[in-house]
This record gives sequence, structure tokens and C-alpha cells, in this order.
Amino acid sequence: MNAQNLLQMFDANALRALAPLIALALGLVLVLFAGVFPLGRAVRATLVVASLAASAVLHGNLLLGGETPGKVLAGTFESSSTTAMWGLVFVASTLFAWLYSVRYYEEDAPFKNEHDVLMLATAIGMMLMAGARDLIVFFIGLELLSIPLYALAAFRRDRARSVEAGLKYFLLGAFAAGFFLYGSALVYATTGSLSLDTLADPAARAALGQPMALVGVALIAASVFFKVSVFPFHLWVPDVYEGAPTPVTALMATGTKAAGFAFLMSALVLLPASTATTVALIAVITMAAGNFGALAQTDVKRMLAYSGIAHAGTLLLGVAGAIHGDPSNGAPVQASLVYMAAYVATAAGAFGLLALLERDGGPTTLESLKGLAQRRPWVASALTLFMLSLGGIPATGGFLGKYLVFSVAVRSELTGFAIVGVLLSVVALGYYLRVIIAMYMQSPEHDANVSAPRPASAATTLASIVCAALVLATGVLPGWLLELT
Amino acid sequence: MELVLLTFLPLLGALAVLCTPRAAEGLQRGIALATTLAVAVLGVKLFLGYDVPGGDGAATPYSFSLPWFQLPWRDGTPTQVHFSLAMDGISLLMVTLTAVLMPIVILSTWGHVEKRVKEFMVWMLVMQTGMLGTFLAVDLVLFYFFWEVSLIPLYFLVGIWGGEQRLYATVKFFLYTLAGSLLMMVAIIAILFDRGTSDLGELIAQLGQTPLEQQLWYFAAFALAFGIKVPLLPFHTWLPDAHTQAPTSGSVVLAGVLLKMGTYGLLRFCIQMLPDAAVAAAPWMMALGAIGILYGALLAWAQTDLKRLIACSSVSHLGYVVLGLFALTPAGLSGGMLQMVNHGISTGLLFLLVGMLYERRHSRALDAFGGVATVMPLFALFWVFTVLSSAGLPGLNGFVGEYLILLGSFQSSPLWSVIGLTGVIFGAVYLLMATRKMLFGACTNPENQRLTDLNAREIVLMLPLVVLAVWLGVRPNDFMGKVEPDLAEVGRRVAVARQSTAALEPVTPLTEGVAAR
Repeated sequence: MNAQNLLQMFDANALRALAPLIALALGLVLVLFAGVFPLGRAVRATLVVASLAASAVLHGNLLLGGETPGKVLAGTFESSSTTAMWGLVFVASTLFAWLYSVRYYEEDAPFKNEHDVLMLATAIGMMLMAGARDLIVFFIGLELLSIPLYALAAFRRDRARSVEAGLKYFLLGAFAAGFFLYGSALVYATTGSLSLDTLADPAARAALGQPMALVGVALIAASVFFKVSVFPFHLWVPDVYEGAPTPVTALMATGTKAAGFAFLMSALVLLPASTATTVALIAVITMAAGNFGALAQTDVKRMLAYSGIAHAGTLLLGVAGAIHGDPSNGAPVQASLVYMAAYVATAAGAFGLLALLERDGGPTTLESLKGLAQRRPWVASALTLFMLSLGGIPATGGFLGKYLVFSVAVRSELTGFAIVGVLLSVVALGYYLRVIIAMYMQSPEHDANVSAPRPASAATTLASIVCAALVLATGVLPGWLLELT
Repeated sequence: MELVLLTFLPLLGALAVLCTPRAAEGLQRGIALATTLAVAVLGVKLFLGYDVPGGDGAATPYSFSLPWFQLPWRDGTPTQVHFSLAMDGISLLMVTLTAVLMPIVILSTWGHVEKRVKEFMVWMLVMQTGMLGTFLAVDLVLFYFFWEVSLIPLYFLVGIWGGEQRLYATVKFFLYTLAGSLLMMVAIIAILFDRGTSDLGELIAQLGQTPLEQQLWYFAAFALAFGIKVPLLPFHTWLPDAHTQAPTSGSVVLAGVLLKMGTYGLLRFCIQMLPDAAVAAAPWMMALGAIGILYGALLAWAQTDLKRLIACSSVSHLGYVVLGLFALTPAGLSGGMLQMVNHGISTGLLFLLVGMLYERRHSRALDAFGGVATVMPLFALFWVFTVLSSAGLPGLNGFVGEYLILLGSFQSSPLWSVIGLTGVIFGAVYLLMATRKMLFGACTNPENQRLTDLNAREIVLMLPLVVLAVWLGVRPNDFMGKVEPDLAEVGRRVAVARQSTAALEPVTPLTEGVAAR
């Protein structure tokens, strides 16, 4: 392929498909340059928000503006209404994480510029992952997401926990990346292609059944499962989530997971229908590992990390349903989109409020939350809403997502797994309720230790209100979200 | 539209309370009372204005429907979920009971809710919306929505304002109920796929066409959710804990209305929607009901804590309801329906009275009392009246319901009817023994000698229930007349199901039987 061909691929269609990514990349470069000049925080904030907003508008245009570009760049990248909706989810996830980070850092605040650049880079990575129709494009997206996240996790560099989190994430993430490449190589060796569309051909599908290709697919799956924290690749999650700066945790918990599942949903061709039961089993085990792990936690951030594992398990049950069912059926994709959209608003809001509470003093343990309803009634009520949404109680977005995902499972004759799944979500309420109990029903044992709350920043307030409103809006009037997806 | 107003008026009241300053407790109480009174007036107005529809199954006088959202696919076409409320005789009685009970409950909180009044009133009002919505929803998804939403307020009411073991009790209550309702959710998902509609009317007409085995699965999931709520025998252990720990007002709502959501669900979904499965499962359900009567009565007999005693008597009394409903005879259905209302009145009164005593004496231990009648004659009067109503004295409400239930169940299963009958005796035993220990004898304990009698507020708030107890006992048809046609329709469906079950092998589609109608 010569340079001439390469240029020809960048036609108007390709440009339209890539515009949301380009907007973010432009913003990223500008923020980087803004750091060189003494321009102040407001300029940087404007640039970050403007590039995210531009990306959102361009995604919105793709979603609502009639015909989408489809497959571009020699069929390696796809821009459809589904990827546009995923794009909106990624933008929301990045935006929330960024808003919560505005006043979060203290001694690291001078390096906030780099922080914002890295956050924008992760968003581009997520979009590449969701749109990839080629394993190498996906890998580029994966790395574009992962490498900034390693740095972000270790961003509070004079705190041991943060550095530990970054290093742990990096070492394991490097293995996962290696798995992915090795798996891709095996798939290529057996089928002669890395394109997901070519792999869907009957001949390629037959080749995928060979043992070597199966090993390759398993390695690829392991790598993605690592990113979305699925059993048995979930063990890094509690430590990394706990150690990383909380806004970064919010980004990892929401954006990374969404990108991983976006890819899984578009890469179903790799997984033959016979694996549905295995995947469903892994899903249920993941739910159990997450929920029972969370039950034992007293640190709320760590508890939410385990809860994130459980949620990954629930979504994986939807993936299993999609594998089992008719791949052309859009319902599983819709279910995972709705689930992730609701989860992004919920988890980002929950982690964001924890970030706020950390500033009141130390890690947010159940102990430190006691009596919060008296000290900070609004924070307590918002956190209650997020906990109920994570638990999937009706009138919150979490319920809608849960309903749809279990619908997929029931529809795909995985009812047994669905029943185990719903029972495990009863376990989940066991620890979500504990947070509410601490906030509303217990009073602090040592009143002296509780410092007076500092006022929340405007960005935190805004992000929390938007998250809460989204959670309620998707829960009470789900029509709009169901129509968008 | 009346129904929407009725359902969401409490929510509006809750929002109003939310906007008041934290310290303005009088205002918060006032708003809550005014809201619930308005709902009560509206409810009574609906009750009086309710015309019994003709036997032709015409549309109910009150209904409201609005497209809500579309759930994805059934063979490519999405399932339209409606926000639809409608009222037939069955929901009419439950709604009126809820509407009438709530102002009484709010008024009763003057005595025992002193901290965080604002939140208390908000949760009470939100709960009323949840309960009314549950009784009025005629869309499966909407029903589930209200059903689970009504869990959360009680969780807070018990957890914040409850007794010493409140956290244990409230989590137990929440998780027990949630486990049941999530399995119901799976059944609802399956039904929606199976039938492509969530409209209750259509489902009632259509579900008879599904194979019996499938119906039985649905039945099992629904019955489990409702059975936990009722509570039926093996799932009853959350109830004594929740009742004992709940504040008085929480107990009254729990006993008066929330438990009825379970029995209402059994009647509406397990029997009306799935008649074939109900016929097949009736012996088992009757057995659970009858054993519940006996076991609950024996449990109550053994209690030394007054509130726990009444909670266990609830298990017993709701056993009657289940026994009556699953007798699947006209008398049984009517009796079960009536007993739901009766239990709300009698047990509500009992909890109110125990609460009043507790506010004065700060003890509920049966041993701590004795000779209370000498210092609190008015209290004694109300208590004896309530106990007699609860034990089924002819002329009061309990008698009619129990009589009909025992009659109805004898027609379909003499064995369980007789076992249920023994429960009547035990019921009289534990109630009268408790009464004797508490009220009569010499008043020796100096703490009891200082007790003051009921005040005007307490008497006023109980009077409506007392009037209702007498009215239901003397002229039950004023109430049952409104619900009889609907119950007759249910009974007719059951009779059809019974015939087709008898005529066909089980596990074959029952389309013939349904088509014959």
C-alpha cells in the first residue's frame, strides 16, 4: 500500500467517521501547548470541555444525522449509530472523571495539565476500541487507553498507594497486551486475517475452530477480560482502584469497562456459539467473586471496586446471551449500551462523591461515612441514589440496565444463569445497603474526629447533579435512552 | 385521571415536605397530615362513586393509560409498556384501606416520632405512593416498579426510627423481599417475551394458552415473591423482627397495607392471571395457609413481647387469607378478600394500642403489665374491642371473614379447613390470655399505677377504624358488594380452569378450555 492509496482512504466519509476522535486529539494537543505558556487554569478547562463537547456533538450528529459513514479506512474502522452511542458514553465518562478531578489534587495540582492530556488520550483510545473492525486497530486503541491510565493511576507520585497502583496496573496490563498480540498472531496464522469482517466469513469461521485459533481467541478474550475485570482476571482491580486517584478510578471503572464491552459486542464473531455456556458460567462466577468480595470490605472505594467486578459479570451474561443468540439481533448490544450508560452515570457519580469526601479527611471507610446524612444531606442522598442504582432498584437507571441484560439472558435460554444472577444481586444489596445504613442510621462514634465538611467545588456539584439526574431520568422515563440506542 | 392524582398526591406532599426547613416540624407534620387526609377524602369519594360494572366484563369505571416506553423485541416488534392504572373492585378495597389508614398512621406519629421528623414524613408519603401504585397498576412492568419502590421507604422507616435491633431487622426485611421479587422479575421478563405484552388485561386473557408447566413456573416465581411478603410459612421469619423493631406507625403500615400487597398479588396474579396453575397448586397453597394459621397462633401464644405476639398473630391471620383465596370457591375468595381488609383494621388497631402503651411505659413485655384496666379504662375498652374483633366475635368484622374462609375451604378441602378452624380456637386463647395478663388482676407494679389514660388525639385517630370494624361486621355487603362481581369473574375463570384440568392431561396446552369460554 503506497502513500497515494493511504491518502485516498481519507475521503470525506472517513473524515466524518474520525471527526469525533480528531476533535479530541486537537484538544489534547492544544491543552499540551497551553501548559507551556502561563495561561492559567480557566483556559485549560475551556479547552478540555470544548474538545469533549465537540466530540459529543459530532457523535450526536452521527447518531441522529441520518446515514452513518459505515466502514472506513479499508474496512478497519466502523462508524455506526452504535459506535456513536458508545462514543457518547465515553465522552460522558471522561467528562465526569475530569469534572471530579478539577479540585481533587493538592500537591500534584501543578501537573494537572499532563493529567488532562492523559485523560483526553484515554477517551480517544476508547473510541478506537469501540469502532475497531481490525484487531490491530483495536490494539492501538487499547494501548492508547492503557498507557495514559498507567500514568494516571500513579499520578499522586508521592503517595505509595498510588504508585503501587500504577505499577501493578502497568505490569499486569503489559501481560494482557502481550496476550492480545500473541492471540492475534495465532488467529492470523490460522485464518490469514485480522479483520473482524473477514473472520465472519464461513471459511474463516471454520478455520477459527482449529485448536491453534481457539488458543488465540482465548488469549484475546483473556486480555479483554482483564481490562473489563472478569474472573479470573479481576484480582488487580481492588488494589488498583483503591490506590489510584479517585477520579482516575472513576474513569477506569466506567470508560475502560464500557470500551471493553463495546469491543466484545462487536467482536462476537470470534466466539463460536458453543462458548455461550462457558461465558455465562464465567459471568456468574465473576458476579459471585465481585459480590462476595465486596461484602467483606470496609473501605467504600474498595467495595465499589468489587461491585465493579460484579457489574462486569452481569454485563458478561448479556454477552453470553448475544453469543448464544442471533448475532444480527441488536437487542444484546442495546442492553449493554443501556447498562453501561446507566452504570457510567451511577459509578462516576459514586466515585466522584467519594473523591469529594476524601478531601474531608482520609479514606472513605464505612466508619467515616457514619452520620453523613446529618453533615452533608445532599451528598448522602445522592450517594443513596447511586447505591440503589448500582443495586438495580427500580426508578433508577441501574434497574433498566439490569432488566435488559437479564432479558437477553432469558431470551437466549440462559434462564438458569439469570436466576443465579438475580440471586447474587440480592447479595449485592447487602453491601450497598451498608453504605446507606452508615450514612443514615448510625452516628459517628468519635465526634471529634469528624472535621467540618469543606464545600464542594462547582465542578463536583455540577457533575453530581448531572449524574443523579441521568440516573433518575433513565430510571423513571427510560424511553429516550431506549430510543437512542 | 383521578387515579393518577390519587397515586401521586402523596409524592407531591413528600416534595412539599422536602422543601420545608428542617426545624419546622409542625409544618412538616401538618403537610403530611393534610396530604394523607386529602388522599383519604379522594379515596372515599372513589369508593362511594364506584359503580359495580355489569357482568359483561365492561371496562372499570376508573382507568388511566399512557404509553411509557418500549422494551426491545419480541420477534422484531418492541413491547410497549404502558403507564396504566385501573381500578376494579379488588383494588378499590385495597386502595380505600390504604387511603383511610394513612392519616391515622400520620396522626399516631405525634406520640413517638421526635427525631428527624422531616425525613420520616417524606418516607411515609413516598411509601403511600408506592402502595397505591402497586394496587392500581395494571401493567406488569409498572406493577413491579411500584412493588419494589415501596420497599425502600420501609427500609428507612425501620432503619432510622426503629428499636435497638433495627439494622438487623431492616436488612433482613429488605433482602428477604428483594430475593423474592427479583425472581418475580425473571418471570415477568419471560412472560413479556412469551406474550409480547405487559398489559394485565391482555395477559389475563392470554396466559391460559401457555402450557401448564410454563404457567407453573410463572406461578412459582410470583407465589414466592408474594409468599415472602405475606408472609407464608417458611418465609415468615423476617416479619416478627421487622414488626418488633419498626416504630408503631411503621408496624401499622406494614401490617395494614404492605402485607396486603402480598395477598393482593396472590389474588391478582397467581389466581386471576394464572388460573390453571392456581388450580394445580391450590392444595399446596391451602396447606401452607392452614399450617401458617396454626403455627402462627402457636408462635403468638409463646411470645412474651406484646408487639411480637401481634406480629405472630399476623402470620396466623394472613394464613386465613391464603387458605380462603386458594380454596378457589366463591365463599373462600370473598372471605379472603374481606379478611385482608379486616386484618388491616384489627391488627392496625392492635399495633396502635401497643404503641400507645409503649409510649407511656417504655416496655412491651407482657410480664411488666397487670391490672392496666384499673388505671387506663378507656385503653382497656379499646383493647378488648379490638381483641374481640381480631378473634372473630360475631357482630364484628373478623367473624364474617373467618366464617366465609372456613366455609369456602371446607368445600374444597375439609382437612385444611378443620386445621384452620383449630387456629380460631388458639387465636382466642393467645389473645385473651394476653389480655388477661395485661389488663386484669391487681395493678401491683408502681410504674403501671402512674399510667395515664388515652388522650383525645389517640381516641379520635382510632375511632374511624372502630366504626369500620363494626360496620364490616354488621353490614359487610356494603363493601363486599363492590368487589363481588370481580371475584365472581375470577371464580368463573377458576371453574373453567378446573374443568379443563380435569378433562385434559396435565402439561398439555389448555387452549380448548379457554376457547370454550
